[in-house]
Amino acid sequence: MIEVENLTKIYKNGNVEVKALKEVSFKIKKGEILSIMGPSGSGKSTLMNLLGFLDTPTSGKYYLRGKDVSGLGENKLAELRNDYVGFVFQQFNLLGRTTVLHNVELPLIYGGYSKKERREIAKDLLEKVGLGHRLKHFPNEISGGQKQRVAIARALANNPDLILADEPTGNLDTATGESIMDLFHDLNEQGHTIVLVTHEENIAEHARRKISLIDGEIRKDEVFV
Amino acid sequence: MFYETFKIAINSLGRNKIRTLLSMLGIIIGVGAVIAVISVASGSQAQVTGSISSMGSNLITINPGISSGNFGKLSSTASDQFTLELGRAIEEFSPDVKRVIPQNQSSGYFMVDDKNYQASLVGTTAEYQEVNNFKPQIGKFFSEYDLNNKTNTIVLGSEIVDELYEDNNPVGDKITYYTNEKHYVFKVIGVMEEKDRGITGNLNDSGYIPITTYLSSIGNSKYINSFMAQAESSEKADNAVKEIEYFLAKYFESEDNFKIFSQDQILSTINEVTGTMTLMISGIAAISLLVGGIGIMNIMLVSVTERTREIGIRKALGAKRYYILIQFLLEATIMSIIGGIIGIIFGSIGSYFISQLGGWPFIVETSSILLAVGFSMSVGIFFGIYPALKASKLDPVDALSYE
Repeated sequence: MIEVENLTKIYKNGNVEVKALKEVSFKIKKGEILSIMGPSGSGKSTLMNLLGFLDTPTSGKYYLRGKDVSGLGENKLAELRNDYVGFVFQQFNLLGRTTVLHNVELPLIYGGYSKKERREIAKDLLEKVGLGHRLKHFPNEISGGQKQRVAIARALANNPDLILADEPTGNLDTATGESIMDLFHDLNEQGHTIVLVTHEENIAEHARRKISLIDGEIRKDEVFV
Repeated sequence: MFYETFKIAINSLGRNKIRTLLSMLGIIIGVGAVIAVISVASGSQAQVTGSISSMGSNLITINPGISSGNFGKLSSTASDQFTLELGRAIEEFSPDVKRVIPQNQSSGYFMVDDKNYQASLVGTTAEYQEVNNFKPQIGKFFSEYDLNNKTNTIVLGSEIVDELYEDNNPVGDKITYYTNEKHYVFKVIGVMEEKDRGITGNLNDSGYIPITTYLSSIGNSKYINSFMAQAESSEKADNAVKEIEYFLAKYFESEDNFKIFSQDQILSTINEVTGTMTLMISGIAAISLLVGGIGIMNIMLVSVTERTREIGIRKALGAKRYYILIQFLLEATIMSIIGGIIGIIFGSIGSYFISQLGGWPFIVETSSILLAVGFSMSVGIFFGIYPALKASKLDPVDALSYE
């Protein structure tokens, strides 16, 4: 479903060039759950930004459903983000001044759904992540684990091909983190493709496949049975 | 989608009510000033125009010219030019002039018993009544007989009577006029009706005596200060002015010895003055709007910086550039339009009270409201576009990592 070829990202800082990602190639199959592991500075955030269309590669190819999507303009990228990707961030990144329900509705607003459809989809998803009773609450009124569940519901809103989770348990205690990982497992079993970006070994263990990045290069690409 | 953006904009403005209000202040003051100035100007103008047309626009004033000072001679009014005979000559020569009346005036004190009142004394003819559409309320005006015999009779304006007489009926009494350290005694034969203050000033605080009496006693000369001419009709006023000008230029062999004002000229002068004032204050209001616009731009820039992360999140969830652009542009525009509406309300209330004080009609024209709304909207769009562009161009990765 996703294929990247020789993906390279170079940041220029004045005269200094930093190669954050060096000719990375791999494929992600539909329904997979995989982790991208690496210490900070290994290029895993850069890779996540490229996979999520938040950024464009300096060189290399990105195929989504067999179509070349590298080198598209800003508006096309925004559409791709809306249609094919759901983000789950370490800092949750919910809009603090709007309700839980509205937060989940956001991608649907940009996707052009009607108000009625939005309401239904958002409610269903929040029930699915166990927050059907918290629709009218504001993000500062719920716990960290609940916030991450809202973020996951939001990531699912447009029924994306790919869910990108960047250190999803980084701001949570161990028990809450475990329950969030269980939720990811459930979603994977329902057919969602999930990429976990993390530097924690025990989180990576939840995935069936682990891509290890060091200094912008793939060191290992292991599949566990 | 537009409705959603609109709601988002309203919400984020509502979150910082005080800040929003303060940033709207410049627009409020600017628009309020524009509305008030235009309303006051059109109200007072309507009043002046109304009082002129009520008097009839067929009045022409003829004054002596002012000679320029040269060769050691001081500039002075050519006061020794006009005579009673000249007035009659103008009347006879000009077909479109109905009447010409002389008018000499001095300022002094009217005294009755132990009371005195400062007012002016006017020497004129009996036709003064017709020319000014001004009639006695009690008694009568002086007659041709009084003019021919230079009688010491006087007709008083209503204000003098109000001030000096308790019973309001002085007809038959004697009154003393004091000016230039001399006393003159007159017999009161009438009291004039009260007349609205018009373009020729207040007619109620003058006493009226025969011009012949005036010239032989107070004036002690044969020269007339000014003439008032009445055209046959207001349509013929322009022609009458030309005829008088032609006649006097021939008579004096110069155009510097006299000055002619028609009501139309006075009206256009007043319109010019109000126009200039309106323009001036509108200029100040425009500066206020400019400052208001800069205030809005400033607060929008702060808002964009504060909400960098929000912008990043929205972009990550699929918001396109123009969506972010419209969101921030709408905020700026809504802010300026609301400011404009508040300004219209305050400006209208203010000009209502001013019109009550000034005694003229309260007029707020639709055109000035549309102008104010349009102008404040343009200010919002103009000063909102830069912050909105800045927001829309934020890089999603940078915006998401903004602390």
